[in-house]
Amino acid sequence: MAGMGRYLVRRAITFIPTVFGVLFITFTIAFLMPADPARVWAGGQKASPQVVEKIRKMYHLDEPFWAQFYYFTRAILTNSIYSPVTHNLVSEEFMRRIPITLNLAIMAMFMIVAMGIPMGIVAALKKDTAVDNAVRILALIGYSTPSFWIAFIFMWVFYNELGWMTLVGLPRPSEMITGIYILDALLLGEWKIFIEINRRLLLPAFILAFILVGGLARYVRNTMLDVLSADFILFAQAKGLPPFRLWRHALKNSLIPVVTVVFFMFGGLLSGAIITETVFGIPGLGVLYFAAISNLDIPVIVLSTLYAGLIVVIISLIVDILYALIDPRVRL
Amino acid sequence: MSEKEVILSIRDLYVNFYTYAGVVRAINGVDLDIYKGEVFGLVGETGCGKSVTSRAITRLITPPGRIEKGEIFYKRNSEVIDLLKIPDEEIRKIRGDEISYIFQDPTSSLDPLYTSGFQIAETMVVHDKAEWNEAWKKAVELLKETLIPDPESRVKNYPHELSGGMRQRVVISIALSNDPKILIADEPTTNVDVTVQAELMDLLKELQRKKGTTIILITHHMGLIAELTERVGVMYAGNLVEIAKVEELFENPLHPYTQGLMAAVPNPLQKIERLIPIKGSVPNLIYPPPGCRFHPRCPKAMPICKEKRPPRIEVSPGHFVECWLYVSEEEWEGKNNE
Ligand SMILES: Nc1ncnc2c1ncn2[C@@H]1O[C@H](COP(=O)(O)OP(=O)(O)OP(=O)(O)O)[C@@H](O)[C@H]1O
Ligand code: SF4
Ligand SMILES: [Mg+2]
Repeated sequence: MAGMGRYLVRRAITFIPTVFGVLFITFTIAFLMPADPARVWAGGQKASPQVVEKIRKMYHLDEPFWAQFYYFTRAILTNSIYSPVTHNLVSEEFMRRIPITLNLAIMAMFMIVAMGIPMGIVAALKKDTAVDNAVRILALIGYSTPSFWIAFIFMWVFYNELGWMTLVGLPRPSEMITGIYILDALLLGEWKIFIEINRRLLLPAFILAFILVGGLARYVRNTMLDVLSADFILFAQAKGLPPFRLWRHALKNSLIPVVTVVFFMFGGLLSGAIITETVFGIPGLGVLYFAAISNLDIPVIVLSTLYAGLIVVIISLIVDILYALIDPRVRL
Repeated sequence: MSEKEVILSIRDLYVNFYTYAGVVRAINGVDLDIYKGEVFGLVGETGCGKSVTSRAITRLITPPGRIEKGEIFYKRNSEVIDLLKIPDEEIRKIRGDEISYIFQDPTSSLDPLYTSGFQIAETMVVHDKAEWNEAWKKAVELLKETLIPDPESRVKNYPHELSGGMRQRVVISIALSNDPKILIADEPTTNVDVTVQAELMDLLKELQRKKGTTIILITHHMGLIAELTERVGVMYAGNLVEIAKVEELFENPLHPYTQGLMAAVPNPLQKIERLIPIKGSVPNLIYPPPGCRFHPRCPKAMPICKEKRPPRIEVSPGHFVECWLYVSEEEWEGKNNE
């Protein structure tokens, strides 16, 4: 992996136009919105014209597009973007909330992988049987069911009826190692906290997972069937390989495309978190984003989208590196 | 060549594919004896069932395909076993060890994620022929034998780092790694260029001479048939319609299909792409023509051809044909009353 360092530098350079593009597009959309943000920030209909005017000056809203874009970009670079609604420094707010959303996404991802991959393998092995159809239907239900609806049903069952879950508070482990609560609780061996975090987050994570797990299972199934019908598997059989060795060849080859999908699903989970976090009142990025949209909090909207873009870019970088590690055909 | 010993005999083999469109009756009652140490050629138009027949020998038919019935007797030392009846683990041990394959498309026969050395060594390890260390050393030897330059570094290469010709040599090395009794080479030279083709063929010839390996060679190339094989079987739409010694087949083809084939290939070094003198095309094997499957295209078809499948007749010693033209009057009566 001698080329790794050089590769990372090269990729980091290509980040810049991508991220700048995301910034420009979201900012433009926000600018074109047919609404008067200054009035909203000043308090809506009842706001006095003087206050509205003051806000407009303060945020350069009376200046042309390019000037506004310039001020905004400069503020990002100097880390001085404050929310006009909450008056918090947006980057700080973001750093405070991201571990919570990541925590939720990691739990969901864990469930998706732990359930989706075995389900996909079984569906491939039992192609066109009841099991295969069950996975197909699960994927369909996952795609088409509104997550807030499942969320309410689950809340009713697991909170109201069974009382297994909590709906407020989020306990923190005593120390921060990775910053992700559940991982730190595990690393520190703080089991009580670990269980409490699960009681709070397991249900929303499961709902996030439920949306995607069938999709992953179907993808694994199709990849697996493709690989199983490849010539080299038949040839491996003709060599007289015993079943476990055939499986090793088949699984390793199926793994490669699945890795990509899993990582990009992670990006999808972050956006899926908006609704789930809001419904469950989890103080993560989703709630921040949701509130920002309701309050026309443009700086927060644009910056959050920018951060999301950054996360996706970083994920694709991780996928590339993983590819190079498992697939000899890929060189960085 | 006096008393020849049969090493493999296929009896009444039927293979179907259960597709959405219907049941493809791909192999329709094939009988064939292969003699120990010979090179047997199998020819026929695309889709006539050469690959399926050869794969059925070690039950390498995967769903939706199924071997419907038949027997495949394999003579090993002094015992005779039916390959279609033995347990899975037994056939697994025979594959790649006693009976090995070179498949049609060499470039896709190798697993892209493992080095060529690993894939050769693995074949020896799973048949308990060697431990890993030793198997790796043998892999280098095998690559040397198949004339790969710089074999020590080639064993460490992944398939994508090798040219098509080299990949084919790796596949051949795999097939030869356990000194098979029978080697089934299914169009081993498609997709490699002509000079490489010739080299690979010399390699197989050499092998057959040195080790006495029985070879079943499937090819479109009449040139290779003429040059390498001793006997030839001609397939048409899932039937083995004619079997003869190679000279006999070229000089005196009996089946109208074989005659068409020979006419289509005046120069045996030409590849059979399409049979110009035989009008029509290979029938759909979901609804194969009744009687003789060749009758819609046969210039000599008679009324009985549409109704009854022709029996196999041994016209002269070792020359078999499945065609009503060679069934004598009284035999005809007999067959009709059966
Ligand atoms: N997986 C499959 N599904 C359905 N039908 C199949 C399948 N494999 C083979 N067949 C059928 O079996 C018949 C024989 O195929 P086979 O591959 O043995 O032909 P072939 O003589 O080897 O042709 P080629 O010269 O092109 O290699 C074909 O008509 C094909 O339709
Ligand atoms: S059996 Fe009849 S149709 Fe078939 S090849 Fe012979 S003559 Fe032609
Ligand atoms: Mg074939």
